[in-house]
Amino acid sequence: MEFHNKALPGKVSRIGFGLLITGLILMVAAFALDYRRAMFDYLTMFMWLLSLGLGSLGLIALEYISGATWSTPFRRVSEFLASLLPVMFLLVIPVVVGMKELFVWTDPQVVKSDAVLQGKEPYLNTTFFIARAAICLLIWVVFYFFLVRNSQKQDSESIPQYTKSNIRLSAIFTPIFMVTLTIIAIDFMMSLFPHWYSTIYGVYYFSGTLVAAYSALTLISVLLKEGNYLSSRINNDHFYSMGMLMFAFNIFWAYIAFSQLLLQWYADIPEETFWYIIIWEHSWKVVSIALFLVHFAIPFLVLMPRSVKTNLKKLKFMAIWMLVAHYLDLYWLIMPAYDHHSAVFGWQEIGFPLFAVGVVVVIFKMKARKTNIIPVGDPKLESGFNFHL
Amino acid sequence: MSFDSTYTRELPLVPERSSFKEIDDVIFRPVEEAPTRKWFIAITISSLALMIGAVALANTFYFGIGTWGNNSTVGWGFGIVNFVFWIGIGHAGTLISAILYLFRQRWRTGIARFAEAMTIFAVITAGIFPVIHTGRPWLAAYLIPYPNQNSIWVNFNSPLLWDVFAVSTYFTISFVFWSVGLIPDIAAMRDRASGIKKRIYTVLSLGWRNSNRHWQHYERAYLILAGLSTPLVLSVHTIVSFDFAVAILPGWHTTIFPPYFVAGAIFSGFGMVATVLIILRKVYDMEHIITLDHLEKMCKILLATGSMVGYAYCMEFFMAWYSGYIFEQFVFINRAFGPYAWAYWTMFSCNVIFPQLFWFKKIRRNIPIMMLLVILVNVGMWFERFVIVVTSLHRDFLPSSWAMFYPTWTDLALLLGSFGFFFTCVLLFVKVLPSISLAELKAVTENAQPTHKHHH
Repeated sequence: MEFHNKALPGKVSRIGFGLLITGLILMVAAFALDYRRAMFDYLTMFMWLLSLGLGSLGLIALEYISGATWSTPFRRVSEFLASLLPVMFLLVIPVVVGMKELFVWTDPQVVKSDAVLQGKEPYLNTTFFIARAAICLLIWVVFYFFLVRNSQKQDSESIPQYTKSNIRLSAIFTPIFMVTLTIIAIDFMMSLFPHWYSTIYGVYYFSGTLVAAYSALTLISVLLKEGNYLSSRINNDHFYSMGMLMFAFNIFWAYIAFSQLLLQWYADIPEETFWYIIIWEHSWKVVSIALFLVHFAIPFLVLMPRSVKTNLKKLKFMAIWMLVAHYLDLYWLIMPAYDHHSAVFGWQEIGFPLFAVGVVVVIFKMKARKTNIIPVGDPKLESGFNFHL
Repeated sequence: MSFDSTYTRELPLVPERSSFKEIDDVIFRPVEEAPTRKWFIAITISSLALMIGAVALANTFYFGIGTWGNNSTVGWGFGIVNFVFWIGIGHAGTLISAILYLFRQRWRTGIARFAEAMTIFAVITAGIFPVIHTGRPWLAAYLIPYPNQNSIWVNFNSPLLWDVFAVSTYFTISFVFWSVGLIPDIAAMRDRASGIKKRIYTVLSLGWRNSNRHWQHYERAYLILAGLSTPLVLSVHTIVSFDFAVAILPGWHTTIFPPYFVAGAIFSGFGMVATVLIILRKVYDMEHIITLDHLEKMCKILLATGSMVGYAYCMEFFMAWYSGYIFEQFVFINRAFGPYAWAYWTMFSCNVIFPQLFWFKKIRRNIPIMMLLVILVNVGMWFERFVIVVTSLHRDFLPSSWAMFYPTWTDLALLLGSFGFFFTCVLLFVKVLPSISLAELKAVTENAQPTHKHHH
């Protein structure tokens, strides 16, 4: 078949390792110079990679349970990205080791003098935190393993039974996905400000992960299409659908962000507003306004016309844009905990995203060497190729 | 999409290959034939309920809203509960016709028209309650901001006013959407009717002649209206949730309210649509058009949205504890274990626990069990609003002013009357307009479309 395993060029590995090593060197230097600041940068990077990995696993599950066929030719892209999840087990170690720098509630002295934190101790304590993180990661890796194994076995055996098992697994995974994602969002980000709380927080991070996962899927699919690694039967309608979902979930993100902001601003309770005061003062104000423009206003206007969603060049640009926007979103959520007064940005912040992109590229290349880029044995593939609006 | 067991062939939406004429006959039968005895029995019951509601309404107008169970602690009672409940019912229609349309879910065609009609009736029903709750409904025009001699302006900072805008916009767009969709079908009825009926349908069909140009404009208008309706699906119940969530009252002020209300609205809307469709398809022999597959998909949506609502319940409870805010904690403990625990657990089990049965395919395809579950969804969603309104208010910051809420006969009669009004409208609609979108349904029958498939 025309799309049967064409190896990605060696250039990809070189770029990947280049980014990875440059990033790593800069990261080490950043840690050496200012350990605490580097920890926060690291956490931002960790959450961004998690968004891609976990969000992609979510997209795979979504395809199976919704019975979608249009995305089947691209499912491998999401599967390769989801293979970040086992790697997260290694990448989470620095977060756990550096916990004391990140989370004030880990300090017994602080907790002792703070009645609210004492009340939260049954939940916010080091042991339970690590246990939760480990359990969540383990659950994701288990589901990743089985979903992807079934999908890849189908390449050679092409029997529908694997699709059936994956539909079942995906259905079970979906509620678990939502709960575990919420736990991690609360633990790794919301508890940076342990007094602050918002019931919508899990949904907020969820909306961001889906934007990131769709953007990564779009970006990589366009690149593969340009390099002729996908079938010629992939048409503009496929890319239009990706652009549309990216657009739709970006609006969803804005809706969730706005709901939280409006309700906390309007009610004006000190328990909640202090967080918005931090990000609305000094140089954080600039970041907040930038986030609104970069994450919502500009992509909303740019992605609206159909012509942009069917133009691969523009779509590729917007996919990169949205990935950067999601990084900015996480920076905005995490870094105020490092410095309440000013949004720090220097060479230290550069190394982390470089490393993250390097990790994604290297892993993608490794996976693509062993596995078909298109799920050739999937019974829904034919219907997916035939997709027309 | 649904597939056969090999996942290569999509299951047809209209399984038996009915001819177009047969589809016409089945869909127009309720409109063209004389009403059946069942229909008369149904409308007798519903209009009786409507009359009881009318008596209660007259009682309210004459004596004022003091006839309701509201008291100075629980200042919002059935009036707001019913308003939010009925607005929620109205959400399935736009979700099906707008969002499922944009997502190209073709199974929506069988149920879209009916759900849209229910949206319109539900919004009208809902609109009655805030107007009578104002106590002086004849002054309702003041809700519209317009320059006047007394310089009396509405409070633009109040979400209650945003509600006025949101609900009226929603009603307008839904109504236009529904009317536009009806035009080709009314034209088809015109062509079959005679006498005075033909005259009426001629006027309503706006000169539709099925020309290619007509269809082109129609499809374009439909797409634009779907795009306009999509934000409305989210905005209306979001603003309804703001009525509560912008307050600083524990139990009302929580940031998850907007998406949680929207999910709940879609949940309750699908619950009601499913309840009525199960009866309708049986009474009018439409089981081969509104198939078990349709109902199964609706059950899946119920399962998904019910679980979202469950997520929100749990999140609220967890955050109440996590916040470390004792009043917040008290409200939730009081909800689940206080004097209204029965209402809370009715809500929780009907909305979250029982719908979990829809995980099983056997249950999704079993009509009697499905009927029972969707009725429970309606009950549960009414109680959800009751729990939110009453349990958050009845024990406020000052224990000396704690009170219980007891509905009066007027409250109960108005609730009954709202169901009467709604179902009377539904029954009249079924009698005079096609309750399934004929043109759209024909387009999804097998071999109706030119196919791109099979070019191996």
